[in-house]
Amino acid sequence: MNPPSYDPSLYGPSMTTGAATGAAAGASAAAVPTAGPVLDATATAPAPTPPTDPAKPEQATRPAPARDRYFDLLRALALFRVVLYHLTGWAWLPLVFPSMGVMFALAGNLMARSLKRPPVQVIRSRIRRLLPPLWLLGVVGVTGMVIQGWGPDADGHPGWWWIHLAYWIVPLSDPPYAEGLPGIHGFIGENWAVDLAGPLWYIRAYLWYVLLSPFLLKALRAMPLVTLLAPLALSAAFNFGYLTLPGERVPSALTDFSTFGACWILGMAHQEGILRRIPRYVVPSVAPIFAAVGLWYALNNDFGEGNDLDSMPMAQALWSFGTVMLLLHLSPSWSEWPRRLRRWDRVITLLNSRAVTIYLWHNTCILIAATMWDQLWGIDVMWMHFSWLLESPWPVLAFTWVLIGSCIVWFGWAEDLAAKRRPQVWPDGARKRRTHAR
Amino acid sequence: MASRTRRRGPAKGAPDGSRRRRVPMRLLLPSLVLVALMAMLMLRGYVHSEILADYRIRPAAANDKVPQEILKGGPVIDTRDGSASTLRVPDNSVVLTFDDGPDPEWTPKVLDALKRNEAHAVFFITGTMASRYPDLVQRMVDEGHEIGLHTFNHPDLSYQSKKRIDWELSQNQLALAGAVGIRSSLFRPPYSSKSVNMDNNSWPVTEYIGSRGYITIVNDTDSEDWRKPGVDQIIRNSTPKSGQGAIVLMHDSGGDRQQTVQALDKLIPQLKGKGYEFQNLTEALDAPSAHTEVTGLELWKGKAWVFLVDASDNITAILVVGLAAIGSLVIGRFGLMLLLSAVHARRTRRRDFVWGPNAPVTEPASVLVPAYNEAKCIESTVRSLMRSEYPIEIIVIDDGSSDGTARIVEGLGLPNVRVIRQLNAGKPAALNRGLANARYDLIVMMDGDTVFEPSTVRELVQPFADPRVGAVAGNAKVGNKDTLIGAWQHIEYVMGFNLDRRMYDVLQCMPTIPGAVGAFRRSALERVGGMSDDTLAEDTDITMAIHRDGWRVVYAEKARAWTEAPESVQQLWSQRYRWSYGTMQAIWKHRRALVDRGPSGRFGRVGLPLVSLFMVLAPLLAPLIDVFLIYGLVFGPTEKTILAWFGVLAIQAACAAYAFVLDRERLTPLISLPLQQILYRQLMYVVLLQSWITALTGGRLRWQKLRRKGGVSAPPTVPTQRRQVMDERPVR
Repeated sequence: MNPPSYDPSLYGPSMTTGAATGAAAGASAAAVPTAGPVLDATATAPAPTPPTDPAKPEQATRPAPARDRYFDLLRALALFRVVLYHLTGWAWLPLVFPSMGVMFALAGNLMARSLKRPPVQVIRSRIRRLLPPLWLLGVVGVTGMVIQGWGPDADGHPGWWWIHLAYWIVPLSDPPYAEGLPGIHGFIGENWAVDLAGPLWYIRAYLWYVLLSPFLLKALRAMPLVTLLAPLALSAAFNFGYLTLPGERVPSALTDFSTFGACWILGMAHQEGILRRIPRYVVPSVAPIFAAVGLWYALNNDFGEGNDLDSMPMAQALWSFGTVMLLLHLSPSWSEWPRRLRRWDRVITLLNSRAVTIYLWHNTCILIAATMWDQLWGIDVMWMHFSWLLESPWPVLAFTWVLIGSCIVWFGWAEDLAAKRRPQVWPDGARKRRTHAR
Repeated sequence: MASRTRRRGPAKGAPDGSRRRRVPMRLLLPSLVLVALMAMLMLRGYVHSEILADYRIRPAAANDKVPQEILKGGPVIDTRDGSASTLRVPDNSVVLTFDDGPDPEWTPKVLDALKRNEAHAVFFITGTMASRYPDLVQRMVDEGHEIGLHTFNHPDLSYQSKKRIDWELSQNQLALAGAVGIRSSLFRPPYSSKSVNMDNNSWPVTEYIGSRGYITIVNDTDSEDWRKPGVDQIIRNSTPKSGQGAIVLMHDSGGDRQQTVQALDKLIPQLKGKGYEFQNLTEALDAPSAHTEVTGLELWKGKAWVFLVDASDNITAILVVGLAAIGSLVIGRFGLMLLLSAVHARRTRRRDFVWGPNAPVTEPASVLVPAYNEAKCIESTVRSLMRSEYPIEIIVIDDGSSDGTARIVEGLGLPNVRVIRQLNAGKPAALNRGLANARYDLIVMMDGDTVFEPSTVRELVQPFADPRVGAVAGNAKVGNKDTLIGAWQHIEYVMGFNLDRRMYDVLQCMPTIPGAVGAFRRSALERVGGMSDDTLAEDTDITMAIHRDGWRVVYAEKARAWTEAPESVQQLWSQRYRWSYGTMQAIWKHRRALVDRGPSGRFGRVGLPLVSLFMVLAPLLAPLIDVFLIYGLVFGPTEKTILAWFGVLAIQAACAAYAFVLDRERLTPLISLPLQQILYRQLMYVVLLQSWITALTGGRLRWQKLRRKGGVSAPPTVPTQRRQVMDERPVR
């Protein structure tokens, strides 16, 4: 997942020598002298990398285009919203901010930017950056499942179990997980593997988008409108039953593709400047219509807690498409933080540079936080006088973020490893700032 | 609404110090009015049970938790002290009870029947009905009947929380206090029947209500009059077993109660003949009255409530009339515009069409370009004139610019261009000075930020072939329509010029020659004394004056001029504020035309009312559309409201599309029409409301200079230059 990866060296206009390399830029950047031991100054650039990419020596000498802080803000908001929503389940949250649509659009945007290089190379580097954090989750998660009794006999087809296990390595389809695990009393609730594997659909969808991106980009250039609307049409076809597919894995993959494909392509279209080529009044006029149709459909189909946009892929697709289009239209391209947001710089930087880790682990953190918080019910004083506090989601949210913080410390390095840069414990950009201050 | 363009004059009016105070006022007053209207509508929806109404009825359930003494006891249930006791009315006594009223039609008839037969009864009133018809409640009390509570808006209480039950009771008491100044301790739950039918769902409610100090009254015999079973059946249902007393359930509201009234006239004499007495409940039980007087704050709260409900009903009625008026006005105007613009287009587009006997007009024209700080635009303006296909002289009048506008023009070193400088004196003065210096008899006026096509001047003066024509309006178009706000103004301009102006042309009452592109006969200008600075809309003022002088004013559609529209809400606001306030001033200035004779009177009696109606009055009612849209969305019928809104949108889209086709414009900007209806129209009427407030309070208006970007440099019909226009815009 690339939006997450983040280069702390890129936020300032003062970036100079070789900074644009981005390990992932690989061969094309080989000529650039790297900044010696200060790996963190060169590293991290998303595979697609900074605008300077493909980096050429002469480009390295002039100030590189700065990182778009608006996108960073969107990504951070999206992550925060995802965690909050998975904790509370409030149906209106996805309406307030379409996190998944935003994430896919930003990823699509970066992908289109990288695709100026040979597609095979881009895809390879992208996958390489995505998978190690997933493997780490798999090592921890699958080990835990096996310890609690999950094994080849779990679903009666030992052969299939072994084969499906390969999806933990290359998630072309959803990685398998154990159901009905007992949990660990007072630490993690029962059936935890379901929560752990819950977010993995995103990784699978992302992988497919990456694989298909070269074709999507070609199609987008040839037929922009058709390509943009095709996923929505597919989504409608699924929704109204014009299209039914056998099995479970293929339809679920295609449903996710159709739900957020339009957002991904929208991100590509933004990068390609397609949205800038049409008159500026078009997007604000058209986007609300898509969103309104999605909302109207949702409201007319028993929208509510437990039956929100997640359960209505077409409504989700339309709402995300409309709102993401507006967000991209606004896109103010901040190369520096506006004054009011400056104080959030480090938090947002951290969220951006550890987005994959946070996303992969947050659901497990929520479950652990909630299970541990529930222990307080055992204390008489607490449930007699503070039941409001025990029922409140806010302390659990705070606790969850503490746990996520520890996941960043324990597992975040996998992202650095994947990007071939020196592992960092807490990449919030502070260290880089000190370097600049020198 | 007719659109025009005009350049800003110099700053005058209130000193800058007043800015701070004014900005909130212009938002505050209109929004207060809207909020008040909305609140009144909400109140109405509330007492008409359009909100908070709950029509669920609990099916019968087991009754094992209801004490036996209740199930077997009488219909008067007293659980006030925690125990449960019941009472029956004594033998030979009948207590008639009427639920759900008061009803404006049937309650008076029921009361008449009771009066005729000298009977007292108990009315269990709902808060909603009592709030709306307080006089009937007063009459009940005056005629010796007793009042009981029947909740505020009649929900099945077994579904409601304790909080809601408390609220139902207190709101009901509030309405009662407001109507007659009393409280009542009698209560009948909605959907109740006899004691034996009490079940596990309704009993806890009864207990709770007892704990709040109320006596619950159910019934002995149910007339079932709501089924309309026929008069005789109602009598049979109501009649108690021989000799026994009874509480009889009837209804004076909720539908046609003719049978109930007829039954009363038979039942009462019949039972009286058998020795029955018809008393209210406490009379029958020989107990102290259930009414207690309310005084002090509670009484005034009740009275205020009843007053507000009354006011909301009246205001709503007025609003509905207003909505009907604005609806028919809007539709009528569109119909008229479509019809007349079609007539106009057919007439002027006939192959053998000529403007008049002197066609074609070839005598040279003087083009006046008043400019005030137009450094960014003036070069494109003047250069566009140099491409004119028609013989012209160009006079740029620099109205004391501080940005070197005059020097820029002089620096161009163009032949046929004269620059006249004056101290800042305003646009009318600049135009008059230009007129004094003009060599020719045909005067073309344009703005310093406007770009002409090569054929514009020629097309603009052609109508002077008709000696009766004194002034010509051209076709101003928005050059910067790339943004949302630009696209909205583009739609507005295209409609304003292709529908409104054609209509006004046919009706011969064009209110405004746009400052951006207009032509005048020198003789016409001189006869009315030139431009005047009496109003903020000197173009509307002069146009009306020329009309009153007996000249014809026509529209030349092919005389296109490209102008730069405001790009921020702030600029748009001040521009429109000046237009609408200036139009009001001009109408007021020329009000005498109403009683004049001759052409002036004709304009005064046809043109002025039409312009006032369409440009000043109709927009004032326009907010009603939105008020009722929100009301309909919230309180239903939601689907019909949405459909109606889309219907109006479709009519507008059709009219706009027709205007675009007439002007041979691309239809794509029309996709911004739905959003225009939600965001832009409201802005326009708030501006108009503000003008009204200014007009009524006699405030003065400050000028504000539009910040020019110089985005319009050539007519977009010239492809290569069009690109250049686009390129000048900074990329987002």
